[in-house]
Amino acid sequence: MKWTRVKAVALRHWRAQARQPGYWYILIALPVLDAIMFASIGVAYGEDERPVAVLVTGIMLFHLVWQLTLNAALGFLEEIWSSNLLNLMTTPLREQEFLAGLTLISLARTGVGISLVGLTGAALYSVNPAAAGLVLIPGAMILLLFGWAVSLGVIALVLRYGESAEVFSWGFIFLLIPLSGVFYPTEALPGVLQPVSNIVPITQVFDAIRIGLDGGGVAWGRLAVALGGTVITAGLSVLLLRKMLQTFRVKGLVTNFS
Amino acid sequence: MGDYLSARGLRKKFDATVAVDSVDMTVGVGERVALVGPNGAGKTTTLLMLLGAIDPDEGSVEINGRSLAQNRVEAMERVGFAAGYLPLPRYLSVHETLSFFASLHGIDDIDAAVSGALAQWGIGRLAHQKTQTLSSGQATLVGLAKAILHSPELVVLDEPTASLDPEVAHRVRQGLLRLNEDHGTAILVTSHDMREVELLGERLVFLARGSVLHEGPPREVVAATGDADLEALFLRVAGIGQGAGDAPSDLTADAGPITGDSQQ
Repeated sequence: MKWTRVKAVALRHWRAQARQPGYWYILIALPVLDAIMFASIGVAYGEDERPVAVLVTGIMLFHLVWQLTLNAALGFLEEIWSSNLLNLMTTPLREQEFLAGLTLISLARTGVGISLVGLTGAALYSVNPAAAGLVLIPGAMILLLFGWAVSLGVIALVLRYGESAEVFSWGFIFLLIPLSGVFYPTEALPGVLQPVSNIVPITQVFDAIRIGLDGGGVAWGRLAVALGGTVITAGLSVLLLRKMLQTFRVKGLVTNFS
Repeated sequence: MGDYLSARGLRKKFDATVAVDSVDMTVGVGERVALVGPNGAGKTTTLLMLLGAIDPDEGSVEINGRSLAQNRVEAMERVGFAAGYLPLPRYLSVHETLSFFASLHGIDDIDAAVSGALAQWGIGRLAHQKTQTLSSGQATLVGLAKAILHSPELVVLDEPTASLDPEVAHRVRQGLLRLNEDHGTAILVTSHDMREVELLGERLVFLARGSVLHEGPPREVVAATGDADLEALFLRVAGIGQGAGDAPSDLTADAGPITGDSQQ
């Protein structure tokens, strides 16, 4: 893997995204609006400060997954909207270098997004975004890995099914929000959904975060389960992407995007 | 003259349609080859297999002695590609776009490479213009600049002058000839303009229904087939002309490949 090519991909996407208002909206407005909405729900219906902290911490961490997935998927879609895939495929650029460049720019944007959620919570609702303590560090790492895995899966689907799979870049979030217990313990879900929720790896992370917020320290056991599930998810995503890349070349799907 | 690109037994089927069948093809070092054929003949599929963008069902491609299937990155380092139909990345200036591709090719002095490539096509004034504001002709020229900015040993061009006015198309053809003469850059080009094919192609590979129908220097191919000129040959193979023998394209299915050298 050549760093110059990774950097070139990241720079190309930074430049293209910086010139499109939609990307600024996703980068700045959505995190701030989400923080305001969920914190205000906490203020309106909570009896003390805990619900506000749970909701703000939840949405902040969820933006880790969402922003990484969304930005990586949008970056790939930008190549499709630009009909640029054939240009890229006829250079020495490796798939791994392309994905690394996209991940780099997505990580930077994700960092900005979650910082804005945390700052909004702190400035307007007096929430300490680090209130959950040490658990935030391994929790955030697992969520990032999960977001990266999901983004690979979304890219794989776009490769195979084209722009019609674009909906997964943002739509997948609506599947994960209720099932992973971002804002509530999964016991609050209907009984029939609880087993489904338990197999979503990041459910354990959000449980661990709530334990941390309640002063229970780091729930290493839950984090270990979450990490195991996330590694399996990442492995499956890589396999899916490799399979879809192979199908893409075998079926000559690049002509659909040129 | 050794082969810079060599393809053997290329075959590609899409569902029930055989797009390319048993195509052997070479491009020698510094050689100019024109790939010709009616719409649906398999030209673009062949080109995309030669570039590694589509995997062949059968057959192999070697570029500069390297297997494309096993060493795609190394094989593509000294290959440039442009297509008249291919847009450029949006929201970047021309200079930024070319710098991006120069980085992918590992060029050290990017500014010099970009300036040189723009100067080659006389479009230095477009350097700071955004790609989405370019006319189709200007975009084609920038695409051509992209194809040569890393001083490739082989340039593959799919209908490079399709969207250009006659004056600019003439300039492009002259530029390609100069590139070939001055730098020894091999050229593989597809075109529907038979005069362009005669000018640019030292050797012609005529595809029909996915197979090589004729191969050789354009004049020799025309002489061998008895057609008045390349245009007449093309129309006859496409089944809409009245060339020598009035052979519609159906007859070509039974005919083996005819080379320019074989005076049948």
